[in-house]
Amino acid sequence: MNLRIEATGNVTYVAPVGRLDFDAAPGFQEALERLLGGAGERSAAVIIDGTALEYVSSAGLRAFLLAARAAQRSGIAFALCALQPAVREVFELSGFSRIIPVHTDRASALAQTPPGRA
Amino acid sequence: MDHPPVSPRARAARASLTLPVVLTPVLRWANTVRAKVRGVAQSLVEGRGPYARAFENLIVALVIFSIASIGVESIPGLPQWATRALYVAEIVVVAIFTFEYLLRLVAARNKFGFIFSYQGLVDLLAIAPFYVLGVDARWLRALRLLRLLRVLKLQTHFLETVVEERTRELAEKNAALEKAQAQLKAELEVARALQLAILPASFPARSGCEAAARMIPATTMGGDFYDYIELPDGQVGLVIADVSGHGVPAAFFMAVARTNLHELALHHIDPGECLAQTNDALCAQNPLDLFVTVFYCVLDPKSGVLRYANGGHNPPYIRRAAGTVETLRGAGGLVLGAMPGGRYPTHTVQLVRGDRLVLFTDGVTEAFNPAEELYGAQRLADEVHVHGGGTPAALVERICQSVTNFAGTAPQSDDITLTVLTWGAP
Repeated sequence: MNLRIEATGNVTYVAPVGRLDFDAAPGFQEALERLLGGAGERSAAVIIDGTALEYVSSAGLRAFLLAARAAQRSGIAFALCALQPAVREVFELSGFSRIIPVHTDRASALAQTPPGRA
Repeated sequence: MDHPPVSPRARAARASLTLPVVLTPVLRWANTVRAKVRGVAQSLVEGRGPYARAFENLIVALVIFSIASIGVESIPGLPQWATRALYVAEIVVVAIFTFEYLLRLVAARNKFGFIFSYQGLVDLLAIAPFYVLGVDARWLRALRLLRLLRVLKLQTHFLETVVEERTRELAEKNAALEKAQAQLKAELEVARALQLAILPASFPARSGCEAAARMIPATTMGGDFYDYIELPDGQVGLVIADVSGHGVPAAFFMAVARTNLHELALHHIDPGECLAQTNDALCAQNPLDLFVTVFYCVLDPKSGVLRYANGGHNPPYIRRAAGTVETLRGAGGLVLGAMPGGRYPTHTVQLVRGDRLVLFTDGVTEAFNPAEELYGAQRLADEVHVHGGGTPAALVERICQSVTNFAGTAPQSDDITLTVLTWGAP
């Protein structure tokens, strides 16, 4: 899967394109860990834009869980926005929407994401 | 004595009659000898026996000696006897090389092929200067230089040996690799058999309950599981679960999750409490950060009361005896193993006789076809609605068929697991 990464100010938007399944999860996880890890320049917030994210499997959910934990450790705000209905349902059914904030679009995600302490 | 006159023509005719008679055994003998000589030559220059090895070593030793002697000859003020000795040695060496060349020529099936092969040319170059330039002292210097070409002769010998050795090493490594792979595959097969053995093979019929289940793993080892638990007070517990990912790590986590849940279910009759306890147990032993979605329900076969709790799993369907399909909604909790201390509310639903409970994992609804379309919840609900009237085993089979037909040639990306339970004869 492809990732479109844009950094604007101290917020980084990550837009995954396509299906986040068992095969795509490790690459996605690695990319998020780079953004949320301790080394290098960091943003205050990382927001996942789900506009082009078509599908998330359980292995994909695990990548989000690990990213949320890494963000917590690094003090970076982590949120999701603009999820397609099917993907949003996966987040709601699995209970993940309770541990990772889900917003309707980038604007509301930005407004409601308190900048981290990075 | 007068001899009758014999015309030259008649004499020739007689000769042509007698010659083959005399020559045939000679030719036959010559043929036998030729075959024998060729056999001996082949065994010497192409064979693998001790004589062939000795001959090979002799040639290599002579090449090294002859190259070394070039150096020795160039030492100024060499005594007369030494020069003579080296000269005699050179003649012997060339004689043996010539013998070797002839042997190879005799042994070769394709004579021209040998003569114009790399080794054939090098072997010829190693001896030809001696014959062409003779022993004429004026040409000795040139001869010496040309003898340096024997280095090439050495190279052809070692090249052959090295190539042979590498080929053999490669074959050995391949064999070892194939063996290791076969062993790994055999071990995975055993692990898969063990994993499938964890799943209940059959559901005991009890007070009008009847159930059937099936799991089709996406890889050799799956992360899905189902379980049927006979609880102390006559109630029955039914579990369906899906571990994140698949393969060996998911299979291990599945075994741990299933064992924990099965044990805790015997002590915590409330489904929500059972999931909360299982979640805490899993969070305490989860080095790979895996998690599992679990739907757990407890049916009282006497009353038809079904109590359930959901840890992030797809809500199951209830097919009512009348044929309508309902989704078992009701707030659930987070997937198990992700975060300790989670709460899992218990919900209650009353079954009527003839109702069917259909539990499934997302491998069913998220099966893709070659056009990358999802099987989807609607197709599943339709199958349950139309074909849910028969036995649980028939419905399980029907849905598996439907998903397999839909997916066609598209590879199966996730485990497919289904459990169907009926309560009471309709």
